[in-house]
Amino acid sequence: MIALDEVTKSYGSAPARGPRPAGDAALREISLRIARGEVCAVVGPNGAGKTTLFGLVLGFLEPSAGSVRIDGVPPRRYTRRHGAAYLPERFRLPADWTVAAALRALARLEGLDRREAARRADALLERFALVDHADRRIGALSRGLLQRLGLAQTLIAERELVVLDEPTDGLDPLWRVRFRDLVEELRREGRTILIASHDLAEVERLAERAVLLDNGAIREIIPTRRPEGEATLYRIELASPSDAVALAFPNATPADPGAGDAAGAGPVDGGTTAYHIAVANESELSRRLAALLEAGAVLVSVAPVAVPLEERVRRAFGGGDA
Amino acid sequence: MSALHLAGLTVRSHRRRILGLVAFVAIALAAASAARILVADEHGHVNADQLFLLGGYPAVSALLLLGWLLGRFPLIATLVLMAGLVSHDHAEGYARLYAVRPLSPVRVYGTRFVVLGGLAFAVSAVLLPAFDLLLLGTWAGPATLVLILANVLVFGALTAFLSVWTRGDAWIALLLGLAALVWQALRDAGRLAVPPGVRDVVSFILPPQAALFRLEEAFGDVAPIPWDAFVYAAGYGLVLLVIAALALRRREL
Repeated sequence: MIALDEVTKSYGSAPARGPRPAGDAALREISLRIARGEVCAVVGPNGAGKTTLFGLVLGFLEPSAGSVRIDGVPPRRYTRRHGAAYLPERFRLPADWTVAAALRALARLEGLDRREAARRADALLERFALVDHADRRIGALSRGLLQRLGLAQTLIAERELVVLDEPTDGLDPLWRVRFRDLVEELRREGRTILIASHDLAEVERLAERAVLLDNGAIREIIPTRRPEGEATLYRIELASPSDAVALAFPNATPADPGAGDAAGAGPVDGGTTAYHIAVANESELSRRLAALLEAGAVLVSVAPVAVPLEERVRRAFGGGDA
Repeated sequence: MSALHLAGLTVRSHRRRILGLVAFVAIALAAASAARILVADEHGHVNADQLFLLGGYPAVSALLLLGWLLGRFPLIATLVLMAGLVSHDHAEGYARLYAVRPLSPVRVYGTRFVVLGGLAFAVSAVLLPAFDLLLLGTWAGPATLVLILANVLVFGALTAFLSVWTRGDAWIALLLGLAALVWQALRDAGRLAVPPGVRDVVSFILPPQAALFRLEEAFGDVAPIPWDAFVYAAGYGLVLLVIAALALRRREL
Protein backbone atom coordinates (compact mmCIF):
# COMPACT_ATOMS: atom_id res chain seq x y z
CA MET A 1 0.00 0.00 0.00
CA ILE A 2 2.81 2.43 0.95
CA ALA A 3 5.96 2.52 -1.13
CA LEU A 4 8.98 4.67 -0.40
CA ASP A 5 11.76 4.46 -2.95
CA GLU A 6 15.17 5.96 -2.28
CA VAL A 7 13.56 8.82 -0.38
CA THR A 8 15.77 11.61 0.86
CA LYS A 9 14.49 14.64 2.69
CA SER A 10 16.58 17.69 3.43
CA TYR A 11 15.42 20.82 5.21
CA GLY A 12 18.14 22.99 3.74
CA SER A 13 19.53 25.14 6.49
CA ALA A 14 17.06 23.95 9.14
CA PRO A 15 18.53 23.74 12.60
CA ALA A 16 20.06 20.40 13.49
CA ARG A 17 18.35 18.08 15.94
CA GLY A 18 20.22 15.36 17.67
CA PRO A 19 23.55 14.41 16.24
CA ARG A 20 22.73 15.50 12.67
CA PRO A 21 24.68 18.51 11.50
CA ALA A 22 22.68 21.53 10.31
CA GLY A 23 21.67 21.35 6.66
CA ASP A 24 22.19 17.60 6.50
CA ALA A 25 19.39 15.30 5.26
CA ALA A 26 16.70 14.47 7.79
CA LEU A 27 16.13 11.19 5.91
CA ARG A 28 18.56 9.48 3.57
CA GLU A 29 17.69 7.02 0.81
CA ILE A 30 14.83 5.34 2.60
CA SER A 31 13.25 2.44 0.75
CA LEU A 32 10.37 0.72 2.44
CA ARG A 33 7.22 -1.18 1.54
CA ILE A 34 4.28 -1.37 3.92
CA ALA A 35 1.58 -3.82 2.97
CA ARG A 36 -2.13 -3.20 3.29
CA GLY A 37 -3.32 -4.33 6.72
CA GLU A 38 0.18 -4.31 8.21
CA VAL A 39 1.03 -2.78 11.56
CA CYS A 40 4.48 -1.26 11.19
CA ALA A 41 6.37 0.52 13.93
CA VAL A 42 9.11 3.07 13.52
CA VAL A 43 11.57 3.33 16.36
CA GLY A 44 14.73 5.32 16.82
CA PRO A 45 16.36 7.98 18.95
CA ASN A 46 14.99 11.51 19.13
CA GLY A 47 15.77 13.26 15.87
CA ALA A 48 16.19 10.00 13.96
CA GLY A 49 13.62 11.14 11.39
CA LYS A 50 10.45 9.35 12.52
CA THR A 51 8.18 12.38 12.31
CA THR A 52 9.74 13.41 9.01
CA LEU A 53 9.04 9.93 7.66
CA PHE A 54 5.39 10.26 8.70
CA GLY A 55 5.27 13.73 7.20
CA LEU A 56 6.38 12.27 3.87
CA VAL A 57 3.93 9.37 4.06
CA LEU A 58 1.03 11.73 4.72
CA GLY A 59 2.12 14.25 2.10
CA PHE A 60 2.88 17.07 4.54
CA LEU A 61 6.40 17.11 3.14
CA GLU A 62 7.76 16.60 -0.34
CA PRO A 63 10.79 14.34 -0.72
CA SER A 64 13.99 16.06 -1.84
CA ALA A 65 14.75 12.94 -3.85
CA GLY A 66 13.02 9.64 -4.49
CA SER A 67 9.31 8.99 -4.41
CA VAL A 68 6.53 8.18 -1.99
CA ARG A 69 3.36 6.52 -3.22
CA ILE A 70 0.23 5.29 -1.49
CA ASP A 71 -1.81 2.97 -3.64
CA GLY A 72 0.24 4.25 -6.56
CA VAL A 73 -0.52 7.93 -6.13
CA PRO A 74 1.32 10.74 -4.33
CA PRO A 75 0.35 10.90 -0.64
CA ARG A 76 -1.29 14.31 -0.85
CA ARG A 77 -3.57 13.12 -3.60
CA TYR A 78 -4.34 9.97 -1.63
CA THR A 79 -5.29 11.85 1.56
CA ARG A 80 -7.40 14.39 -0.35
CA ARG A 81 -9.29 11.49 -1.88
CA HIS A 82 -9.45 8.97 0.97
CA GLY A 83 -8.31 10.82 4.09
CA ALA A 84 -6.15 9.28 6.81
CA ALA A 85 -6.37 8.90 10.55
CA TYR A 86 -3.53 10.83 12.12
CA LEU A 87 -2.37 11.51 15.64
CA PRO A 88 0.49 14.02 15.65
CA GLU A 89 3.31 13.80 18.16
CA ARG A 90 2.07 16.92 19.91
CA PHE A 91 -1.67 16.87 19.37
CA ARG A 92 -3.20 20.31 19.72
CA LEU A 93 -6.51 22.00 19.07
CA PRO A 94 -7.62 25.55 19.92
CA ALA A 95 -7.44 25.85 23.71
CA ASP A 96 -10.84 27.51 24.04
CA TRP A 97 -12.76 24.76 22.27
CA THR A 98 -14.55 22.24 24.45
CA VAL A 99 -13.84 18.54 24.07
CA ALA A 100 -17.29 17.75 22.66
CA ALA A 101 -17.28 20.76 20.33
CA ALA A 102 -13.85 19.79 19.02
CA LEU A 103 -14.94 16.27 18.15
CA ARG A 104 -18.11 17.57 16.51
CA ALA A 105 -16.17 20.16 14.52
CA LEU A 106 -13.64 17.59 13.32
CA ALA A 107 -16.47 15.22 12.44
CA ARG A 108 -18.03 17.95 10.32
CA LEU A 109 -14.67 18.44 8.61
CA GLU A 110 -14.81 14.74 7.76
CA GLY A 111 -17.94 15.48 5.80
CA LEU A 112 -20.52 14.18 8.28
CA ASP A 113 -23.78 16.08 8.58
CA ARG A 114 -24.65 17.83 11.83
CA ARG A 115 -26.67 14.97 13.31
CA GLU A 116 -24.22 12.25 12.34
CA ALA A 117 -21.30 14.36 13.59
CA ALA A 118 -22.98 14.77 16.98
CA ARG A 119 -23.77 11.07 17.17
CA ARG A 120 -20.22 10.11 16.27
CA ALA A 121 -18.73 12.60 18.73
CA ASP A 122 -20.95 11.24 21.54
CA ALA A 123 -19.91 7.67 20.75
CA LEU A 124 -16.22 8.62 20.89
CA LEU A 125 -16.67 10.54 24.14
CA GLU A 126 -18.18 7.39 25.57
CA ARG A 127 -15.52 5.09 24.17
CA PHE A 128 -12.61 7.18 25.42
CA ALA A 129 -14.24 7.93 28.79
CA LEU A 130 -14.35 11.63 28.01
CA VAL A 131 -18.07 12.12 28.77
CA ASP A 132 -17.34 13.76 32.11
CA HIS A 133 -14.91 16.12 30.38
CA ALA A 134 -17.12 16.88 27.37
CA ASP A 135 -17.71 20.51 28.35
CA ARG A 136 -14.18 21.22 29.53
CA ARG A 137 -11.94 23.53 27.58
CA ILE A 138 -9.16 21.76 25.74
CA GLY A 139 -6.64 24.13 27.30
CA ALA A 140 -7.62 22.81 30.73
CA LEU A 141 -7.10 19.13 29.89
CA SER A 142 -4.29 17.07 31.37
CA ARG A 143 -1.73 15.51 29.03
CA GLY A 144 -3.39 12.12 29.28
CA LEU A 145 -6.89 13.44 28.56
CA LEU A 146 -5.59 15.43 25.61
CA GLN A 147 -3.93 12.30 24.25
CA ARG A 148 -7.20 10.38 24.63
CA LEU A 149 -8.96 13.14 22.72
CA GLY A 150 -6.23 12.88 20.08
CA LEU A 151 -6.81 9.16 19.75
CA ALA A 152 -10.57 9.67 19.67
CA GLN A 153 -10.30 12.08 16.74
CA THR A 154 -8.42 9.48 14.71
CA LEU A 155 -11.53 7.29 14.82
CA ILE A 156 -14.05 9.89 13.68
CA ALA A 157 -14.01 8.44 10.21
CA GLU A 158 -13.03 4.95 9.18
CA ARG A 159 -9.78 5.53 7.34
CA GLU A 160 -7.74 2.78 5.83
CA LEU A 161 -4.43 4.45 6.66
CA VAL A 162 -3.77 5.12 10.35
CA VAL A 163 -0.65 7.02 11.40
CA LEU A 164 0.06 7.42 15.11
CA ASP A 165 3.06 9.41 16.30
CA GLU A 166 3.91 8.55 19.91
CA PRO A 167 0.33 7.47 20.66
CA THR A 168 0.90 6.32 24.25
CA ASP A 169 2.70 9.47 25.39
CA GLY A 170 0.99 10.67 28.54
CA LEU A 171 -1.43 7.76 28.74
CA ASP A 172 -1.80 6.01 32.08
CA PRO A 173 -1.24 2.21 32.27
CA LEU A 174 -4.95 1.44 31.92
CA TRP A 175 -5.23 3.50 28.76
CA ARG A 176 -2.04 1.98 27.38
CA VAL A 177 -3.75 -1.39 27.65
CA ARG A 178 -6.87 0.01 26.03
CA PHE A 179 -4.74 1.49 23.28
CA ARG A 180 -3.39 -1.98 22.54
CA ASP A 181 -6.96 -3.25 22.27
CA LEU A 182 -7.73 -0.40 19.92
CA VAL A 183 -4.81 -1.24 17.64
CA GLU A 184 -5.80 -4.91 17.69
CA GLU A 185 -9.30 -3.92 16.65
CA LEU A 186 -7.99 -1.76 13.82
CA ARG A 187 -5.70 -4.57 12.73
CA ARG A 188 -8.64 -6.99 12.60
CA GLU A 189 -10.47 -4.48 10.43
CA GLY A 190 -7.56 -4.63 8.00
CA ARG A 191 -6.32 -1.07 8.46
CA THR A 192 -2.75 -0.20 7.63
CA ILE A 193 -1.16 1.23 10.75
CA LEU A 194 2.08 3.13 11.21
CA ILE A 195 3.21 3.79 14.76
CA ALA A 196 6.18 5.72 16.07
CA SER A 197 6.97 4.88 19.64
CA HIS A 198 9.77 4.85 22.19
CA ASP A 199 8.01 2.05 24.06
CA LEU A 200 9.69 -1.05 22.64
CA ALA A 201 7.60 -3.50 24.63
CA GLU A 202 4.52 -1.86 23.17
CA VAL A 203 5.96 -1.97 19.66
CA GLU A 204 6.75 -5.63 20.07
CA ARG A 205 3.21 -6.38 21.18
CA LEU A 206 1.51 -4.34 18.47
CA ALA A 207 3.58 -4.33 15.32
CA GLU A 208 4.57 -6.95 12.85
CA ARG A 209 7.76 -5.14 11.89
CA ALA A 210 9.84 -2.47 13.54
CA VAL A 211 11.82 -0.12 11.35
CA LEU A 212 14.88 1.08 13.22
CA LEU A 213 15.72 4.60 12.13
CA ASP A 214 18.98 6.17 13.08
CA ASN A 215 20.25 9.54 11.97
CA GLY A 216 17.88 9.60 9.01
CA ALA A 217 18.63 6.13 7.67
CA ILE A 218 17.09 2.71 8.18
CA ARG A 219 19.47 0.79 10.41
CA GLU A 220 17.47 -2.43 10.43
CA ILE A 221 13.98 -3.79 9.86
CA ILE A 222 13.07 -6.28 12.56
CA PRO A 223 10.16 -8.69 12.37
CA THR A 224 8.65 -8.38 15.86
CA ARG A 225 6.10 -11.17 15.70
CA ARG A 226 7.53 -14.32 17.24
CA PRO A 227 7.50 -17.12 14.64
CA GLU A 228 4.86 -19.76 15.30
CA GLY A 229 6.10 -22.36 17.80
CA GLU A 230 9.05 -20.35 19.09
CA ALA A 231 9.29 -20.31 22.88
CA THR A 232 9.23 -17.21 25.07
CA LEU A 233 11.75 -16.91 27.86
CA TYR A 234 10.56 -15.97 31.37
CA ARG A 235 12.36 -15.39 34.62
CA ILE A 236 10.68 -16.82 37.69
CA GLU A 237 11.76 -16.07 41.20
CA LEU A 238 11.00 -18.43 44.09
CA ALA A 239 11.24 -17.79 47.84
CA SER A 240 13.62 -20.77 48.14
CA PRO A 241 15.08 -23.47 45.85
CA SER A 242 12.54 -26.14 44.95
CA ASP A 243 12.88 -29.54 43.28
CA ALA A 244 9.41 -28.98 41.87
CA VAL A 245 10.90 -26.56 39.34
CA ALA A 246 12.51 -29.39 37.41
CA LEU A 247 9.18 -31.22 37.30
CA ALA A 248 7.06 -28.25 36.30
CA PHE A 249 9.64 -26.81 33.90
CA PRO A 250 11.99 -29.52 32.61
CA ASN A 251 13.92 -26.90 30.62
CA ALA A 252 14.49 -24.56 33.58
CA THR A 253 17.97 -23.14 33.91
CA PRO A 254 19.47 -21.03 36.68
CA ALA A 255 19.05 -17.33 36.05
CA ASP A 256 22.44 -16.55 37.56
CA PRO A 257 24.73 -19.49 36.77
CA GLY A 258 27.78 -19.87 38.98
CA ALA A 259 26.22 -18.12 41.91
CA GLY A 260 23.74 -20.83 42.76
CA ASP A 261 23.49 -24.02 44.74
CA ALA A 262 24.26 -27.52 43.63
CA ALA A 263 21.10 -27.66 41.53
CA GLY A 264 22.33 -24.69 39.57
CA ALA A 265 19.62 -22.30 40.68
CA GLY A 266 20.79 -18.80 41.26
CA PRO A 267 20.18 -17.18 44.65
CA VAL A 268 19.40 -13.50 44.32
CA ASP A 269 18.99 -10.64 46.76
CA GLY A 270 16.76 -11.37 49.72
CA GLY A 271 17.46 -15.08 49.60
CA THR A 272 15.16 -15.81 46.64
CA THR A 273 16.13 -18.15 43.81
CA ALA A 274 15.71 -17.31 40.12
CA TYR A 275 15.30 -19.56 37.06
CA HIS A 276 14.87 -19.02 33.35
CA ILE A 277 12.08 -21.05 31.80
CA ALA A 278 10.85 -21.31 28.22
CA VAL A 279 7.20 -21.81 27.30
CA ALA A 280 5.32 -21.79 24.03
CA ASN A 281 2.55 -19.48 25.17
CA GLU A 282 0.90 -17.85 28.14
CA SER A 283 -1.56 -20.69 28.76
CA GLU A 284 1.32 -23.15 29.02
CA LEU A 285 3.01 -20.77 31.43
CA SER A 286 -0.13 -20.62 33.60
CA ARG A 287 -0.54 -24.40 33.57
CA ARG A 288 3.05 -25.11 34.57
CA LEU A 289 3.10 -22.37 37.21
CA ALA A 290 -0.04 -23.88 38.73
CA ALA A 291 1.75 -27.26 38.93
CA LEU A 292 4.73 -25.57 40.57
CA LEU A 293 2.58 -23.88 43.19
CA GLU A 294 0.69 -27.08 43.86
CA ALA A 295 4.02 -28.76 44.59
CA GLY A 296 4.55 -26.23 47.38
CA ALA A 297 6.89 -23.73 45.75
CA VAL A 298 6.49 -20.10 46.83
CA LEU A 299 6.50 -17.86 43.80
CA VAL A 300 7.85 -14.32 44.22
CA SER A 301 7.75 -13.00 40.66
CA VAL A 302 7.34 -13.90 36.99
CA ALA A 303 8.47 -11.68 34.15
CA PRO A 304 9.33 -12.09 30.47
CA VAL A 305 13.02 -11.66 29.81
CA ALA A 306 15.19 -10.78 26.91
CA VAL A 307 12.63 -8.95 24.77
CA PRO A 308 14.14 -9.64 21.37
CA LEU A 309 13.35 -6.19 19.97
CA GLU A 310 14.79 -4.49 22.98
CA GLU A 311 17.94 -6.52 22.67
CA ARG A 312 18.31 -5.83 19.00
CA VAL A 313 17.65 -2.14 19.45
CA ARG A 314 20.20 -2.06 22.22
CA ARG A 315 22.69 -3.76 19.93
CA ALA A 316 21.86 -1.44 17.04
CA PHE A 317 22.11 1.75 19.07
CA GLY A 318 24.78 0.65 21.47
CA GLY A 319 22.54 1.05 24.53
CA GLY A 320 21.46 4.60 23.60
CA ASP A 321 18.03 6.19 23.70
CA ALA A 322 15.48 4.65 21.30
CA MET B 1 -18.84 19.48 4.40
CA SER B 2 -20.73 22.71 3.95
CA ALA B 3 -19.13 26.08 3.44
CA LEU B 4 -21.49 27.26 6.19
CA HIS B 5 -19.78 25.00 8.70
CA LEU B 6 -16.35 26.28 7.66
CA ALA B 7 -17.67 29.82 7.97
CA GLY B 8 -18.99 29.03 11.46
CA LEU B 9 -15.61 27.64 12.51
CA THR B 10 -13.90 30.76 11.17
CA VAL B 11 -16.18 33.11 13.08
CA ARG B 12 -15.78 31.04 16.24
CA SER B 13 -12.00 31.01 16.06
CA HIS B 14 -11.88 34.78 15.38
CA ARG B 15 -14.58 35.86 17.81
CA ARG B 16 -12.21 37.77 20.10
CA ARG B 17 -10.84 39.83 17.23
CA ILE B 18 -14.37 40.43 15.93
CA LEU B 19 -15.53 41.54 19.36
CA GLY B 20 -12.50 43.83 19.64
CA LEU B 21 -13.35 45.52 16.36
CA VAL B 22 -17.03 45.82 17.28
CA ALA B 23 -16.02 47.37 20.61
CA PHE B 24 -13.81 49.86 18.77
CA VAL B 25 -16.71 50.75 16.46
CA ALA B 26 -19.02 51.22 19.44
CA ILE B 27 -16.54 53.52 21.18
CA ALA B 28 -15.94 55.58 18.02
CA LEU B 29 -19.67 55.97 17.40
CA ALA B 30 -20.28 56.80 21.07
CA ALA B 31 -17.62 59.53 20.85
CA ALA B 32 -19.16 60.90 17.65
CA SER B 33 -22.64 60.80 19.19
CA ALA B 34 -21.43 62.63 22.30
CA ALA B 35 -19.78 65.30 20.14
CA ARG B 36 -22.95 65.73 18.14
CA ILE B 37 -25.16 65.99 21.23
CA LEU B 38 -22.84 68.48 22.88
CA VAL B 39 -21.71 70.74 20.03
CA ALA B 40 -23.97 70.30 16.99
CA ASP B 41 -24.79 73.48 15.01
CA GLU B 42 -28.13 74.34 13.41
CA HIS B 43 -27.34 72.08 10.39
CA GLY B 44 -26.68 69.07 12.57
CA HIS B 45 -22.88 69.25 12.05
CA VAL B 46 -20.39 68.94 14.84
CA ASN B 47 -18.99 72.42 15.23
CA ALA B 48 -15.24 72.47 15.79
CA ASP B 49 -15.25 75.96 17.36
CA GLN B 50 -17.80 74.93 19.94
CA LEU B 51 -15.87 71.75 20.56
CA PHE B 52 -12.75 73.83 21.20
CA LEU B 53 -14.66 76.01 23.66
CA LEU B 54 -15.94 72.92 25.41
CA GLY B 55 -12.82 70.78 25.61
CA GLY B 56 -9.94 72.87 24.30
CA TYR B 57 -7.25 71.47 22.01
CA PRO B 58 -7.42 67.94 23.45
CA ALA B 59 -11.08 67.53 22.43
CA VAL B 60 -10.52 68.85 18.90
CA SER B 61 -7.32 66.82 18.50
CA ALA B 62 -9.02 63.68 19.75
CA LEU B 63 -11.82 64.06 17.25
CA LEU B 64 -9.41 64.75 14.38
CA LEU B 65 -7.27 61.77 15.38
CA LEU B 66 -10.35 59.58 15.56
CA GLY B 67 -11.41 60.79 12.11
CA TRP B 68 -7.95 60.06 10.68
CA LEU B 69 -7.93 56.62 12.30
CA LEU B 70 -11.37 55.82 10.93
CA GLY B 71 -10.15 56.74 7.44
CA ARG B 72 -7.73 53.80 7.84
CA PHE B 73 -10.24 51.57 9.56
CA PRO B 74 -10.90 49.25 6.57
CA LEU B 75 -7.15 48.59 6.39
CA ILE B 76 -6.88 48.05 10.16
CA ALA B 77 -9.94 45.78 10.32
CA THR B 78 -8.68 43.74 7.38
CA LEU B 79 -5.21 43.26 8.87
CA VAL B 80 -6.60 42.43 12.33
CA LEU B 81 -8.96 39.79 10.97
CA MET B 82 -6.70 38.32 8.30
CA ALA B 83 -3.55 38.09 10.43
CA GLY B 84 -2.38 34.47 10.52
CA LEU B 85 -5.03 33.37 8.01
CA VAL B 86 -2.92 30.37 6.95
CA SER B 87 0.28 30.72 8.98
CA HIS B 88 -1.43 30.31 12.36
CA ASP B 89 -2.64 26.84 11.38
CA HIS B 90 0.85 25.91 10.24
CA ALA B 91 2.47 27.14 13.42
CA GLU B 92 -0.04 25.44 15.70
CA GLY B 93 -0.10 22.18 13.76
CA TYR B 94 -3.80 22.41 12.87
CA ALA B 95 -2.92 22.48 9.18
CA ARG B 96 -1.81 18.85 9.42
CA LEU B 97 -5.09 17.88 11.04
CA TYR B 98 -6.92 19.52 8.14
CA ALA B 99 -4.59 17.98 5.57
CA VAL B 100 -5.41 14.37 6.48
CA ARG B 101 -9.08 15.00 5.93
CA PRO B 102 -10.53 14.87 2.45
CA LEU B 103 -10.71 18.65 2.18
CA SER B 104 -9.24 21.06 -0.30
CA PRO B 105 -7.03 23.61 1.48
CA VAL B 106 -8.06 26.17 -1.10
CA ARG B 107 -11.66 25.64 -0.04
CA VAL B 108 -10.84 25.88 3.67
CA TYR B 109 -8.76 29.03 3.41
CA GLY B 110 -10.85 30.49 0.57
CA THR B 111 -13.93 30.28 2.76
CA ARG B 112 -11.99 31.77 5.64
CA PHE B 113 -10.83 34.65 3.42
CA VAL B 114 -14.35 35.37 2.20
CA VAL B 115 -15.84 35.26 5.72
CA LEU B 116 -13.16 37.43 7.31
CA GLY B 117 -13.06 39.82 4.35
CA GLY B 118 -16.85 40.06 4.52
CA LEU B 119 -16.69 40.84 8.24
CA ALA B 120 -13.99 43.50 7.73
CA PHE B 121 -16.15 45.04 5.01
CA ALA B 122 -19.35 44.88 7.07
CA VAL B 123 -17.84 46.43 10.20
CA SER B 124 -16.20 49.20 8.16
CA ALA B 125 -19.36 49.75 6.13
CA VAL B 126 -21.27 50.39 9.34
CA LEU B 127 -18.66 52.57 11.00
CA LEU B 128 -17.57 54.93 8.23
CA PRO B 129 -21.00 56.08 6.99
CA ALA B 130 -22.40 56.23 10.55
CA PHE B 131 -19.46 58.35 11.72
CA ASP B 132 -19.85 60.73 8.78
CA LEU B 133 -23.60 60.99 9.34
CA LEU B 134 -23.09 61.79 13.02
CA LEU B 135 -20.36 64.37 12.47
CA LEU B 136 -21.29 65.88 9.11
CA GLY B 137 -24.95 65.02 8.75
CA THR B 138 -24.20 63.36 5.40
CA TRP B 139 -22.05 60.56 3.94
CA ALA B 140 -20.06 60.08 0.74
CA GLY B 141 -22.49 57.59 -0.75
CA PRO B 142 -21.49 54.37 -2.54
CA ALA B 143 -17.91 55.67 -2.97
CA THR B 144 -17.43 54.81 0.72
CA LEU B 145 -18.35 51.19 0.11
CA VAL B 146 -16.16 50.96 -2.99
CA LEU B 147 -13.19 52.39 -1.08
CA ILE B 148 -13.74 49.92 1.76
CA LEU B 149 -14.04 47.01 -0.67
CA ALA B 150 -10.84 48.01 -2.47
CA ASN B 151 -8.93 48.14 0.83
CA VAL B 152 -10.28 44.77 1.93
CA LEU B 153 -9.38 43.17 -1.40
CA VAL B 154 -5.88 44.64 -1.63
CA PHE B 155 -4.73 44.21 1.96
CA GLY B 156 -6.73 41.06 2.63
CA ALA B 157 -5.23 39.36 -0.41
CA LEU B 158 -1.75 40.66 0.44
CA THR B 159 -2.02 39.28 3.99
CA ALA B 160 -3.40 35.96 2.72
CA PHE B 161 -0.60 35.72 0.18
CA LEU B 162 2.09 36.41 2.77
CA SER B 163 0.40 34.10 5.26
CA VAL B 164 1.12 31.09 3.08
CA TRP B 165 4.82 31.56 3.90
CA THR B 166 5.25 33.64 7.02
CA ARG B 167 3.73 34.29 10.43
CA GLY B 168 4.51 38.00 10.19
CA ASP B 169 1.92 38.32 7.41
CA ALA B 170 -0.17 41.24 8.69
CA TRP B 171 2.85 43.24 9.90
CA ILE B 172 4.62 42.80 6.58
CA ALA B 173 1.42 43.77 4.75
CA LEU B 174 1.21 46.91 6.89
CA LEU B 175 4.86 47.75 6.21
CA LEU B 176 4.34 47.23 2.48
CA GLY B 177 1.25 49.45 2.66
CA LEU B 178 3.26 52.19 4.38
CA ALA B 179 6.10 51.73 1.90
CA ALA B 180 3.62 52.10 -0.97
CA LEU B 181 2.27 55.26 0.65
CA VAL B 182 5.73 56.83 0.86
CA TRP B 183 6.75 55.55 -2.57
CA GLN B 184 3.64 56.97 -4.21
CA ALA B 185 4.03 60.32 -2.45
CA LEU B 186 7.65 60.59 -3.65
CA ARG B 187 6.64 59.50 -7.12
CA ASP B 188 3.84 62.09 -7.31
CA ALA B 189 6.30 64.75 -6.12
CA GLY B 190 8.84 63.68 -8.76
CA ARG B 191 11.41 62.96 -6.04
CA LEU B 192 12.18 59.34 -6.96
CA ALA B 193 15.79 59.14 -8.05
CA VAL B 194 15.48 55.72 -9.70
CA PRO B 195 15.36 54.66 -13.36
CA PRO B 196 11.83 54.65 -14.82
CA GLY B 197 11.90 50.85 -15.32
CA VAL B 198 12.69 50.19 -11.67
CA ARG B 199 10.15 52.78 -10.60
CA ASP B 200 7.41 51.10 -12.61
CA VAL B 201 8.29 47.60 -11.41
CA VAL B 202 8.31 48.65 -7.75
CA SER B 203 5.03 50.54 -8.17
CA PHE B 204 3.55 47.44 -9.78
CA ILE B 205 4.68 45.12 -6.97
CA LEU B 206 3.77 47.36 -4.01
CA PRO B 207 0.09 47.71 -3.01
CA PRO B 208 -1.64 49.90 -5.62
CA GLN B 209 -1.55 53.11 -3.64
CA ALA B 210 -2.23 55.33 -6.66
CA ALA B 211 -5.52 53.53 -7.30
CA LEU B 212 -6.44 53.68 -3.62
CA PHE B 213 -5.62 57.44 -3.57
CA ARG B 214 -8.00 58.02 -6.45
CA LEU B 215 -10.74 56.10 -4.67
CA GLU B 216 -10.06 58.10 -1.48
CA GLU B 217 -10.31 61.35 -3.44
CA ALA B 218 -13.66 60.32 -4.87
CA PHE B 219 -14.77 59.50 -1.33
CA GLY B 220 -13.47 62.79 0.11
CA ASP B 221 -14.80 64.98 -2.69
CA VAL B 222 -18.07 63.07 -3.11
CA ALA B 223 -17.04 62.70 -6.75
CA PRO B 224 -17.95 59.95 -9.28
CA ILE B 225 -16.31 56.60 -8.54
CA PRO B 226 -13.16 55.98 -10.66
CA TRP B 227 -14.01 52.42 -11.60
CA ASP B 228 -10.77 51.88 -13.48
CA ALA B 229 -8.89 52.49 -10.21
CA PHE B 230 -11.16 50.01 -8.43
CA VAL B 231 -10.65 47.38 -11.12
CA TYR B 232 -6.88 47.83 -10.89
CA ALA B 233 -6.92 47.47 -7.09
CA ALA B 234 -9.25 44.47 -7.22
CA GLY B 235 -7.12 42.88 -9.95
CA TYR B 236 -4.02 43.28 -7.78
CA GLY B 237 -5.80 41.45 -4.98
CA LEU B 238 -7.12 38.76 -7.26
CA VAL B 239 -3.69 37.99 -8.73
CA LEU B 240 -2.24 37.62 -5.22
CA LEU B 241 -5.09 35.31 -4.23
CA VAL B 242 -4.54 33.09 -7.27
CA ILE B 243 -0.80 32.82 -6.51
CA ALA B 244 -1.60 32.09 -2.84
CA ALA B 245 -4.07 29.36 -3.86
CA LEU B 246 -1.52 27.73 -6.16
CA ALA B 247 1.15 27.90 -3.46
CA LEU B 248 -1.22 26.42 -0.87
CA ARG B 249 -1.52 23.26 -2.89
CA ARG B 250 2.25 22.81 -2.91
CA ARG B 251 3.19 24.27 0.47
CA GLU B 252 4.80 21.86 2.93
CA LEU B 253 3.12 21.59 6.30
